[in-house]
Parts: sequence; C-alpha cells; structure tokens
Amino acid sequence: MSQPALINRYRWYELVGIYAGIFVFLSFILAPFVEGFLVSLKPLSLLFSSPYRFWPENGSFAAYKTMWVSVPGFARYIFNSFFISVIVTAVVLALVVPAAYAFARFRFRGSGALLAAFLAVNMFSGAVLLIPLFRLMRSFGVLNTYFAMIVPGVAFLIPSAIWLLRTYMMRIPRELDEAAFVDGASHFYTLRRVILPIAMPGITVVAITTFIGSYAQQFIFALTFNSKTEYMPLPVGLFAYFGRQEVVWNELMAASFVGIAPAVIVIFFLQRYLVSGLTAGAVKQ
Amino acid sequence: MGQLNLNKVQKFYGTYEVLKSIDLEVRNGEFVVFVGPSGCGKSTLLRMIAGLDETTAGDIVIDGKRVNDLPPVKRGIAMVFQSYALYPHMTVYENIAFPLRVEKMPEEKLKVRVEHAARILHLDQRLQQKPGMLSGGQRQRVAIGRAIVREPKIFLFDEPLSNLDAALRADMRIELAKLHRQLKATMIYVTHDQVEAMTMADRIVVLNAGEIAQTGAPLELYHKPANTFVAGFIGNPKMNFLPVNCKGVSEAGVEVEYKGQTAIIPVEPRSGMAGASLTLGVRPEHIQIGSGDLTLAVTPSVIERLGAHTVAYASLGGEGENYCAMLPGTAAIRADEEVRTGIRAADCHLFDENGIAFERRVEMTDIDMSLLDPAAA
Repeated sequence: MSQPALINRYRWYELVGIYAGIFVFLSFILAPFVEGFLVSLKPLSLLFSSPYRFWPENGSFAAYKTMWVSVPGFARYIFNSFFISVIVTAVVLALVVPAAYAFARFRFRGSGALLAAFLAVNMFSGAVLLIPLFRLMRSFGVLNTYFAMIVPGVAFLIPSAIWLLRTYMMRIPRELDEAAFVDGASHFYTLRRVILPIAMPGITVVAITTFIGSYAQQFIFALTFNSKTEYMPLPVGLFAYFGRQEVVWNELMAASFVGIAPAVIVIFFLQRYLVSGLTAGAVKQ
Repeated sequence: MGQLNLNKVQKFYGTYEVLKSIDLEVRNGEFVVFVGPSGCGKSTLLRMIAGLDETTAGDIVIDGKRVNDLPPVKRGIAMVFQSYALYPHMTVYENIAFPLRVEKMPEEKLKVRVEHAARILHLDQRLQQKPGMLSGGQRQRVAIGRAIVREPKIFLFDEPLSNLDAALRADMRIELAKLHRQLKATMIYVTHDQVEAMTMADRIVVLNAGEIAQTGAPLELYHKPANTFVAGFIGNPKMNFLPVNCKGVSEAGVEVEYKGQTAIIPVEPRSGMAGASLTLGVRPEHIQIGSGDLTLAVTPSVIERLGAHTVAYASLGGEGENYCAMLPGTAAIRADEEVRTGIRAADCHLFDENGIAFERRVEMTDIDMSLLDPAAA
C-alpha cells in the first residue's frame, strides 16, 4: 500500500473525527431525501399510524403509478419547468458570455459602477419586486405566458452569472488575447476561437448554477404572474396533490422525485465539461 | 523589407514619462536587441512597435509608412511573448496555423506553410500534440512557429527565453541566431540578459530609465561604453569604479591620481579637466595579480572558484563599493589574505562627473573591425 504524502497523514482519532463530522453533516443533508423516499413508498393509510415506523411496512412503488392518474397534467408541469429553465439558461449564457468577457478584458468608463450595480440588484430578492414586476407585466399584457416566467428569471440570474464568469475569464492569461490580436484576430474571433473553449469549465459552472437557480425561483414567478394551469411549472404543480380533504403525501413525494429527475440528468451531463487544467501549457506559470 | 524608424517616440502613463523621445533606426535584416534593467521601458517600446500599446507622441515608421494608428497585423510584424501565449485547447498544428486561419487562407496552402514552419523549428513530430504535453523549449518553438508562418517583415521577441532553464536557453539562443540567418528578417529582441544581447545582436540598444543610453555593436559597447551606466551594465561581473582626481591633461591622455598613485589613461583628452573628480572604470577581467600602472593591495573577503576563473571580491576602504577581480582559475589567493593587484592604464575607462566617457584609444588591432560594424560583415 502506498503511503499518503506526509501532509495527508492522520492519526486514527483524527480520522474518526473527520468521518464523524462528515456523517453528521451528510445526515442533515440526506435525511430529508431518505425520509421523502420512504414516505413515497408507504401506503397513505400507514403514514400517520402510530407507533411511527421509519421502515415502510408493505411498501410499494404504487404511488409512482397513481401520481400520474390523480394529477393528469403532471407531465406537462415537469416539461414546463424544464422548458423554462432551459430557455432561461440559454438566454442567460447568450447574454452573459460577451458581457463577462467585456468586463474581464476591456477598460471602459463605468465598468466598476455597473458591476457594483449588478451586485446591488442581486441583493433584492425577487419577492420584493413582485408587485412592480406584476404591474409591468400587466401593462405589457404578458401575464399568463411563458414569457412572464422566463424574463424575470433571466433578469435575476444575470448578475451573479456575470460575476462568476468574469472572475473565471480574468484568470485566462491576457497574453492569449494579445497574441490573437497581433495575429489579426478580431475581438469576436478571439472570443469564439480562443476564450470560449478555454472558459468552458467556467461556462459550465454558470450554466449549472443558472439552471438550478431558475428551477428554484420559478415558484414565486409562476405563482404571481401565471394563473393558467397548462403553463404551471413543477413547484406550483406539486400543489395539485394538496387535496381539499387531505394531502396525498406519498404521491407528492413520488412526484417530487420524478419531477427533479430531468434536472439531475442535465446537471450530470453538464458536469462532464467541468474539467480542470484546461489552460495547461498556455503560458509559463 | 523590414526597415523600422522611430522618430522622437514618447510614451506617457498619465503624467509619468516612460519613454523619453526615442530615435532609432533598424535596418532591414538586422538583429537588434533592446537591453536594460527592469522598468527601463524596453518592453513598452517593443509593445508600441507591435501596436499593443498606444504611442503618446512621435512616429513609428515601417518601410516608410507611418504605422502609429495601424493594428499589429497591418504593420507586418509578428510577436513572440515571454509567456509563450499558446492556445492550450488547440494542437501544435492549429496553434501555428492560427494566424493563417484568421486571414482565411485556403487549406492546402496553409498546410504547406505550417509544415514548412514546423520543419524549420523541428516540430514535425509534435504537430498533433497539445501545448500542455510539450516542454518549455518546445512551447517556445511553437510560439516562434506561429510568428514565422505569417512571414512578417519584422519579428518582435519579448524576453522569449527568460522562462527557460539555463541549458535550454543556451540552445535556443543558438537556434534563434540560426533562424535569423535563415530567414534574413528584421528581428527586434527584448531581454534583460546581457549574455543574450551580446551573443545574438548585430546591434544592441541599451535603455536606461526611458532613454537610449547607447546604441552599438556588442563589442563596441564592451570596449567603448559611452557612460557609466552602459559600462556597468555590459560585462559580468560588473565593472569596478574608482573615484580619481584629474592631475592634468596631455597629448598622451588624462593623468589621474588614486590614493597617491598616478597613471596616464590613454583617452581623448578634454581641456579644463585638471582638478576635476573623475571616475575610473576597470573591468574585473582586466585586473591581474602583481603590479601594474596602478597597484592596489586588497584583502578579498569572498573568493569564487569557477574553474576557468577565480572571482575575488574585496572592499576598497570606506567607499562600500565592492572591488571585484576576475583572475585565472588557478590564482594563488586566499580569502582574508592581502593580495596585490595591478591595473594596466590601457585597459581603463574614464568618465567625467556626469558619467560621460572620455573616448578610449582602444588598440583596435586586437579587435576584428568587421565585428564592430554589422554592415561590413
């Protein structure tokens, strides 16, 4: 067995401490998922039986079938969520990549102030601006459309995306731009052929955070700006399982897991582009 | 053609004057090296010629055309950066082809050019590799390849070898000199390493604090430095400077006095110098053991044995200035033991209070004159 480097060598009690710490935090993070999954397996009648049983008695995947029946539009909600997030991510990337490049590379009057302004905007949560936004949407006549959920989503996600990507692009050596400029390349050519490929890991991070952010913030925009059932995204759609008499907990949990599956798959594929060391060999470091 | 003229070129950063009215002519095919300590403006000057930095005043003229407002590619220059600046996601082939892709050259023609450049630089076997897999020397060759495919009129090198280790640097120096002979292009090379400057240059431009301290062939700078700055900068170890008094001026030269000893230094005399305090310069390699026209008894504090040479460092009394002698490798000296060193008057340099040199009467028979003038070669 190879010895780890000296800096990575620990005494047995240190290892115990480290793993105990990991266990505590992981259980806080994962316990709700485990509990949610187990609830989805239980028949509704046994959910509130006492004594409480952690492990489901005669558990089954029945809820994963019945959920489609009790809320027929659920597939549409998943699609809506996914659709809104994909469009938001695409629009954010299309706007943020050139903007971040400009902020990272060009010196222009007001760039500092603009960046600060973006950060300031980020400090307002969407909820504070809901009423003005609602009035704005109403006067444009775009309430109850996808547009109403996509545009505010884009607007609120742009600032952090710019900050994130700008920082990444600033780490790309400026000599690469200069070399391309000396060789006659325009700024757009340099951005496309040189900066974009190198910034791919950074762009992926931005894409993932934007996608997740868009998933998370849909709820509030959808609730306020949309009242049409067919445009409802997943978080609002889940309310359909809240019946008049009772909440169908097991189906709700099953729906939650099914609902986030597309997002998990997208993120899984995106993270393959998160390779580090892409700039190796560009300049002497 | 690659004729470059700088006419009263100036550069300000805000109110700070980085370059003070630089006048320079670089002839077609010449290898000119800008050398100077860090912060002297040599890299800035190169970047201005390249078109990466704005010129505050003055004209940059390439082949008779003022290029101040032209982008680099229209100036007919190519530049090699200190940090290589390779595109890490592209293969060596694509890196070299990049400038040609920008000008949308047809594929077949491009292939010929890239492969030609790769052959010159011995990169034929590496074309499909990425820069990350190459050694430092190979990376720098790729960067040079990217410069030569465009067949520019003028090559600009910004300290291209300073990231390489000593052995590789020596190899690359020879390769660059060969490349210059092969391409016969004008090359301007910035370095802070005087060995690179001395070995490769047809002509060296020594810059100091934004001004040209002296321009000349390597040996000319060595034998006839125009001022104390160039005298101290060119040559390693550094020239020794001794404060002397002028006793008188005659046809034979200037008579100086140092700690009671006098010597006549064979330089072009100037009148009205008697009584002035001057600076005597003598290179460590011109100091010998024993006596000379001036004899100094010193006690070396440190002795470095380099095999071929022995370098002795001593302090000359109160001045605090080190006195350094480069002696034969087998010199019988020891630290903390007094030794008598002699200086020949003919080897000495003499500078006035402003640090301006008196012209030396160098016995040029020792020097091949054609080495001093690249145009005669």
